[in-house]
Order: sequence, then structure tokens, then C-alpha cells
Amino acid sequence: MSTSTLRHALHGGLAQPSKRANLAAVAAVAFTVHGASPAAAHCFAGARFFPATLTVDDPCVADELSLPTISSFKTGDIPAHRELDISGEFSKRITEDFGVSVGRTYTRLWVPGGPGAHGWQNLETTFKYQFLTWPQSELVLSAGVSIEWGRTGNASVGAEKFHTVTPMLFAGKGFGDLPSSLGFLRPFAVTGQVGYAIPTWRRTLTISSIDLDTGEVDFDEERHPHFLQYGGSIQFSMPYLKANVVDLGLPDVFNRMVPLVEASFRTPVRNVVTTGNTLDETNRTTGTVNSGLIYVADKFQIGAEAIIPINRASGKGVGWVAQLHFYLDDIFPTTIGRPIIPISARIGQ
Amino acid sequence: MKSNRQTLLAAAFVAISAVGAHAHAQLQSADPRVGSTVRAAPPVLTLNFSERVEPALSSVQVTDAAGRRVDAGRLRVDKGNSQQVQVPLRALPAGQYNVRWRVILVDTHKTEGSFGFEVRP
Repeated sequence: MSTSTLRHALHGGLAQPSKRANLAAVAAVAFTVHGASPAAAHCFAGARFFPATLTVDDPCVADELSLPTISSFKTGDIPAHRELDISGEFSKRITEDFGVSVGRTYTRLWVPGGPGAHGWQNLETTFKYQFLTWPQSELVLSAGVSIEWGRTGNASVGAEKFHTVTPMLFAGKGFGDLPSSLGFLRPFAVTGQVGYAIPTWRRTLTISSIDLDTGEVDFDEERHPHFLQYGGSIQFSMPYLKANVVDLGLPDVFNRMVPLVEASFRTPVRNVVTTGNTLDETNRTTGTVNSGLIYVADKFQIGAEAIIPINRASGKGVGWVAQLHFYLDDIFPTTIGRPIIPISARIGQ
Repeated sequence: MKSNRQTLLAAAFVAISAVGAHAHAQLQSADPRVGSTVRAAPPVLTLNFSERVEPALSSVQVTDAAGRRVDAGRLRVDKGNSQQVQVPLRALPAGQYNVRWRVILVDTHKTEGSFGFEVRP
């Protein structure tokens, strides 16, 4: 426990300072003996809890497990393929502020009535540092880097042979600091992320034809663009409404819901032209806008969203995604739910 | 599909492990109720949480519209129900009041929040 935390705890409701201070000191020693400090995993900034969103990453470092995340949609190919993804992601805090996530996706692709393919996508690892938490403003900022490891998946489902490195920034802001006259806006929060994906190969050349008379070889060139990836969410927290704005006396099941809209886009920004394609075809932003609901239980959450592509290159028709997500810091608070090294260098703690 | 079965088994294991574990405290109810208007404030503010609270490291402050403290004693946790926190209040005249709470659970998880209520005779 930090001195400031203890001071803050002691500050409230002290009718008998010395006796209360003694109790606090005993409790503080007890926590110290157990090697624990007040834990603030999940994604909290003051009174604000940011749930784990399904499409974009939440802005915090936490001990959590998303297993499974299942999505089904039609791809932007012509003809469109039906794609079913089943994925899992395990996130672990190394320190209070620094964590690593490992994720894997199993994909099944098929054209209705036609051939199909199935296999693993490349392994993905994300390192994230939560460098600012400002409780009064319900603000969280993090920076990280995500790496997709080439040759760890199956080419039949599109896994690439090269690595892709994506430096990223994450942000979360709750509106609980609005004046009480704007009470019904206070449960709103937004999150966002932006990243720049850099493939480690500039291009892939494949032989398209060989002239048997001259021995000349023609190649098709597939360039691997750099992508700007960006997205965010806007969410309305019923738990926040009930606990911090007004208790409407609704049944508990409603008080645990977070309706939200997420959006995720990517735009090729460099090295985009590929053999057979025009700049206009390949320089197109793709993405989806997903609308749904997260139910926040005590130790896990369940979320479901409709996936709406923003254009034909992003997909065809409306798909869906559903996720079961566990708060490991609550389920295993003394083992894998704790940071390996319980130190913090976060601004605003 | 063997991998899918393993995925579901792993999810089921974690779900079963979740039974009985602690969680972050949620404010389940308050008296006076969050955001309410009451004719007369009760002599004691009561907060009910979803988890057991460690009283020595938890705090509750009640202030009036001018920011003056109007809680009248130290925070108490019911021995028979350590999820319930009580704080004595002074006699509150008509006006707006703000409750700011910060609780630490017996498993060291912390949660905080604040809400208002109004006394209007």
C-alpha cells in the first residue's frame, strides 16, 4: 500500500482519529505482510469501469481471459466467403501497469455450396503499458505494440508468412465529471485506439508464367501495405447510472448492462499498388460498425454485437460476434490474477 | 473441431473456478437512494455492497452543497453483514448532498464512487 493511499483512506470519517489510525495501521501491516496493495485490475479509472470491448481493445492492462470469442460474417471477397472465427486471448499483468496478451484464432472459410478451408491464424502478442490513470477525470491512456508472428498459422485461411508490427495508442474517457445538471450524460464513456501496422516484408513475388521458348519468367507482385488502424467505442454504463447518478429501481439484470457501439477501420497508407489492381481499388478504407450489449457479472462478462460492414470491400450483409470474458483478478486473486511483480509507475495513481 | 472442444473445456474450467471467488465491490443500494429526493434524511447513511468491506481502509464522506462535511462519526461495518457500511449523519436541512465512498475489500480490491441526493421537506 502506498503512503498516499493510506492517507486517503484515513482521511474519511475520522471521529476518533487515533483509534481509527491504529486500526488502519494494523490493517496496512496485514496487507503488507501478505505482499498486497489495493488491487485495481479490471479497467477502472475512479468510479468508471470500462468493460472489455469485443472489437477494439480496452485501454487498460489487466489479468483477463476472453474465451471464446466467436464471430460469423461474410467477407469482402467476390464471391463473398462465409467466415467463422473462434478465438481466445489471455492477458497477464507483469507489473501493475505493464502486461502482455497472447491471442489465437481458428478460422473456417467456405463458399456456400463450394469448397472450404480451415486452420489457424497467426499467433498475436500485444505488449501494453498503461502510463496514465486519472481517476477524477475517468481518463486512462496506454501505449503498446502488437506483433503478428508470421508462419505461425495456416496459409489456407490467409495467415501470412511475414510478421506485422503495430505500435498502438489506447485511450478511455468517462463523462462522470460532467456537472450534475447533465446527469444522464455522465454514464457515457468513449474508448479509442490507433495503430500503424508495418509488415516486415514489402512484397511477395509469385511466378505467373514462364515462356518455354525464351525462358523468360513473369512475376505477379503482391505488395504488403502499411495500414493505419483506428477505432473506438461509445458506451452507456447502466452500472454507472445506478451507482453514481440515479438508482431507478430497475431489476438487477438491467443494471448490469452496457449498450455500446464500436467501430474499427483500417486504411492502407503506403506501399499499396499490387499487380492487376488500381490505386483506387487497393487504397480503400475497410471496417465495420458493431452495435450490441455487454452484460457485466461479478467475475465475468458476456457480450454480443451485430457486425455491420461499412462498404462491400469490408463484407457483405450483417454478421455477429459473441464473447465470454473472465476477470482473472477476481477469480484467482492470489495467483494468476495478480501482477507477477506488484509495482506501479503509473501517473495519477 | 478437437481444438474447439478444448476451447470450450478451458472456458468451462475458468467458469467453474469463478464460483466462490471475490470480485470488485459494486454499490448495490444506498439509503438515501442514489440520486433521490427525500423529505428527511435518515440519521445514518447506509451503503450495501456486493462484497465484504475492510472498514479500516475504507472511507465515506458526505458533504453539503458548500463542501462542508455532514457525516457525524466513523464508518461502521455491521458485524453480521460486512457488506453493509453505515455512517452517522448530522441533522440535514434542505439542500443537495454528495456522498463520496471508497472501499477496500478483504481481498484488497478497491472500488470508489460518488452520488448525490437531495433533502426537500
